[in-house]
Amino acid sequence: MTALAIEHVSKSYALNGVQRPVLNDISFDVAPNEIVSIVGASGCGKSTLLRLIVGLDEDYRGSIIQGGVSDTKAAKVGMVFQDHRLYPWLTVGANVDLAFDASNLRKPERLARVHHYLQLVGLSDYEKAYPKQLSGGMAQRAAIARALAQEPDILLMDEPFGALDSILRMRLQDELLSIWEKNRVSIVIVTHDVEEALYLGNRVIVMEPDPGRIRDVFEIELARPRDRADPRLAALKQRCLATLVGREALS
Amino acid sequence: MTTFGAEESFRVERAAPDVQLWKVRSLALRLVLPLALPTGILALWWAASVNGWVSPQVLPQPDWVLQTFLDLLESGDIAAAAAVSFRRIAEGFLIGASLGFLFGLLIGKSETADAYLGPTFRALAAVPSIGWLPILILLLGIEESLKIVILAKACFVPMAISTAEGARTVPKGLTEVADILKLRARTRFFKLTLPSMVPFIASGIRLSLSQAFVSLIVVEMLAGTDGLGYMMVWGRTLFQLDIVIIGMVVVGVVGFLLDWLLKQAESFVRRGSGADA
Repeated sequence: MTALAIEHVSKSYALNGVQRPVLNDISFDVAPNEIVSIVGASGCGKSTLLRLIVGLDEDYRGSIIQGGVSDTKAAKVGMVFQDHRLYPWLTVGANVDLAFDASNLRKPERLARVHHYLQLVGLSDYEKAYPKQLSGGMAQRAAIARALAQEPDILLMDEPFGALDSILRMRLQDELLSIWEKNRVSIVIVTHDVEEALYLGNRVIVMEPDPGRIRDVFEIELARPRDRADPRLAALKQRCLATLVGREALS
Repeated sequence: MTTFGAEESFRVERAAPDVQLWKVRSLALRLVLPLALPTGILALWWAASVNGWVSPQVLPQPDWVLQTFLDLLESGDIAAAAAVSFRRIAEGFLIGASLGFLFGLLIGKSETADAYLGPTFRALAAVPSIGWLPILILLLGIEESLKIVILAKACFVPMAISTAEGARTVPKGLTEVADILKLRARTRFFKLTLPSMVPFIASGIRLSLSQAFVSLIVVEMLAGTDGLGYMMVWGRTLFQLDIVIIGMVVVGVVGFLLDWLLKQAESFVRRGSGADA
């Protein structure tokens, strides 16, 4: 049973008439309720991969299958970007409400769900606020609420905390984990922060650039809640960094 | 070192600012500076007419002009002419700007439509409104419909260009969010496309109205029987240059105020839409 199966996915861009590969033969599965972290240097195509999964770009080779084989309906995929991408002319509540546009929910039900998801990310008091009245961390939480409100089977996150300071980042990581405990959703999170990848992921996929490909996969079999100071995490970080930097030192 | 010392004493002078005085001064500067040039022109005009440098038939004295202005104001001639002109602008604007908006939306949103219609539109737009006048006079006569068509055209072009620009520049990131959330076409238009176009629509409206105003005066001068532009032609025919000058001043001041008002409205809209945030 898999939530997402990626099989032999390759992609190249035409640059000045020359095909330049950005992803080369990527294969991995994501199990239901699993968190998979993808870490790699910039330019390794990790963001491109997410765009392929969510369907923003359909020009690739290989196959991306959402939802298990037994499941007949296609899985819903949500996405959180590095920038919050809230609509500046809509209130936070109205932004979250956009997630229900494709559904047939009635107004009171939608309203109740907007409350629910804003409460989940701790923004209950900001339903009527506009995005520019929020701090960076709050705006990002609102974006997460909007993505969760879609009730996706798979949540893709493209460096969601990349633009935030390190303290806020740790807090949001913990918040994300507690939301994940409550909602049970598969998460694929792309980051260039190895600690973040290890702290969040059940599995960490290390990618390398030119062309983007999977270099190594680490299974993180540590029980949650994890301790950031756990020596086993530190050891894994060493190994991850060696894989990442070792390759760069060669090239 | 001397420079340094000088700067120091300068700083000290500014270190104890009288905020109230400073505000009054900056306000005075803002009001006085723009008025310096008109005052200079007025003085030159006065000197030229009083000293007889220019024949009084061609350049009447400022006080005569003022007198005529007060007479025209009292008799209601100016108000009547202005009312006629403004009604035309309003009609031409309503027709031209709304058609321009729809057309802009079409060529901004659909590349096919732009490929078919865009080049023709841009070529026709390059012909100034007045360039249309000879053929339109033959087609429509010099009746009201002529003015409305010219004004509608004057409003159509800037409105279409701004709208198309706005429709093309919907932020890509927000469009991707709409794709992922699978927004319905209706929601996408009213909650994404339209709001993101608001600043462009606002500047389209401003450009349309100032274009319309300029074209209107010319059309009324060339093919009119009433309105502000006609008032000026009429003054010239009677060799009453004071009326012509009044017409010019009224048109200038009204045009300036119109543009100022619309700019204020535009920046208000921009701030409200969060486009500058």
